[in-house]
Amino acid sequence: MENNKVEKEVLLSVKNVDIVFGRGKNAFRAVTNASFDIYKGETFSIVGESGSGKTTIGRAIMRINPCAKGEILFHGNRISGKISEKEERNVIRHIQMVFQDPAASLNERATIEYIISEGLYNFHLYKNEKERIEKIEKVIKEVGLLPEHLTRYPHEFSGGQRQRVGLARAIVMEPELIIADEPISALDVSIRAQVLNLLKKFQVEKGITYLFIAHDLSIVRFISDRIAVIHKGRIVEVATSEELFLHPLHPYTKSLISAIPVPDPLIEKNKTLFVYDPSIHDYSCEEPELVNIGNEHFVFGSKSEIEKYIKERNS
Amino acid sequence: MENQSIMMNDGLDDLFVLVPQSSSDSEKITAPRYSYWKSVGRVFFRKKSNWVFLALLAVIIVMSIFYPMISPGGPEHNPNVSNLDSFNLSPINAIKMFGFKLSWIFGTDGGGGSVFDYLWTGSRTSLALSSICTIINMTIGVILGAVWGLSKTFDTIMNQIYNIIGNIPYILLITVLAYIIGTGFWSFVLALSITGWLGIAYFIRTQVIIIRDREYNLASRCLGTNIFTIVFKNILPFMISVIVTLLASELPSYISYEVFLSYINVGLSANIPSLGRMINDGQKVWMSSPWRFWPAVIVSAIISVVLYVVGQNVGDASDPRTHMS
Repeated sequence: MENNKVEKEVLLSVKNVDIVFGRGKNAFRAVTNASFDIYKGETFSIVGESGSGKTTIGRAIMRINPCAKGEILFHGNRISGKISEKEERNVIRHIQMVFQDPAASLNERATIEYIISEGLYNFHLYKNEKERIEKIEKVIKEVGLLPEHLTRYPHEFSGGQRQRVGLARAIVMEPELIIADEPISALDVSIRAQVLNLLKKFQVEKGITYLFIAHDLSIVRFISDRIAVIHKGRIVEVATSEELFLHPLHPYTKSLISAIPVPDPLIEKNKTLFVYDPSIHDYSCEEPELVNIGNEHFVFGSKSEIEKYIKERNS
Repeated sequence: MENQSIMMNDGLDDLFVLVPQSSSDSEKITAPRYSYWKSVGRVFFRKKSNWVFLALLAVIIVMSIFYPMISPGGPEHNPNVSNLDSFNLSPINAIKMFGFKLSWIFGTDGGGGSVFDYLWTGSRTSLALSSICTIINMTIGVILGAVWGLSKTFDTIMNQIYNIIGNIPYILLITVLAYIIGTGFWSFVLALSITGWLGIAYFIRTQVIIIRDREYNLASRCLGTNIFTIVFKNILPFMISVIVTLLASELPSYISYEVFLSYINVGLSANIPSLGRMINDGQKVWMSSPWRFWPAVIVSAIISVVLYVVGQNVGDASDPRTHMS
């Protein structure tokens, strides 16, 4: 296992990050001591309920939310806190974001051409006008839209089409990492697959790494290589997709997995839900931490809990 | 039963034709192309009353620009200064005395000058003053206001400046400034625009804050767009209707300021014809010589009302929510 880890190149590494909103008495700790690595070329998912801090972590990587503690490394270089303007532009150039709401994340008064070229303009990623047009026409075809759409405005498109414009805007920058912040939650079920397949296609073709933020576990299972489960700003479990679904250890993960709807009314009706009760943890005498219990499976817990989890995993 | 359904199917097969499905066809948008400014024009001119207001505005603007070229008014262009008989003539007496000419249809003023000539030269001054002040104040106000709303550091500084200057009554400030820097045309422009942009900037700031945190601005930041491009591409296009509506209240407001300040004797100096000066002179004799008072009042009212109504309607038309129908 250890050897395997060395072979994989760590692209992004989040180390003991705290994110705090507000100051003094009103300070709200949105994320506490978050740590994880994202390997090059994989899809890493963060799942959790709403308000658990998933988006906050994504935005901290994009430098929108400042980190109160800890650091974020990209290719081994620190990208959190104060960095030079050149480095900041480098981060923007190589990390892109796809937003949740395709209606809100596109400028309603700009043509699709401007929206897709915006990043190209900012970084002069083209030699001349002809090359820019070629680039955006290529990318718009890649996301399944037509070049004639370039002169249209966002309000003329359907939700799925808009989200593909949002994706095209990120892809045209040729980023190494895309933070996909619930890219399909606002879409109709019938077109979710379309966007997910596009994400997969680009990963295969261009070797893009994804940080996929979602709350829908059934989709996360389909798309991710590794999954982190976050609860109230704390990462409680990190494991490969298969491992997490076969051997969920943390009670919160168990409750999440048991809540996935089964598309069979008979089973669904007789299913017993696993309800998570945070009071079962007794952290008064033992400090809990995220521990690797083997198989790249990390669980958050106190010493006695971890022993219990290891036993459970190996039985 | 079975036979019937088969027969029905046969009938349907004749009526329906299988169309081959293509994925690129389903992406096509068949709606006509949308052009923002064309739609603004369409919505504006759909309202018939706008044609009337626009025509009225055109008449006033053409008259104030071109009429003073033919027949300028004011004390410097008065042939009757030494002719005591020509002072303060009513329209009828003036036409009797000088014969029928456009200049005399509103009579003469206290110095024998033509009221009609003075009226258009005066409205030219007032219109020039208000458009110059509006252009200066709106340009500074809108750009600074947009940056003010976006940048947090600039916000702290500007809020303090606004608190200090904004709390001094505007009229008082202009009055003091007019005393200090004189009462010529350009010093009056300076007095009106030295702090006039501040209120506009503050208004724009508030509007910017409303749309600042929308997700597409975040998306632009994630693409590395700098703050000025965000202002011009992401913020201002959304505020066209707000800006036009603001313009509609700014333009007439400077005419009112000029009229009011001339009325309280701190406006333009006496040798510059203006509507305010004319109203100020006329109000002393408005009972005995109403022809010296009412033309200026009516023209200044028409300019204000027409500018306001046209501006409001352009503002409405430039709101894309009205483009649907």
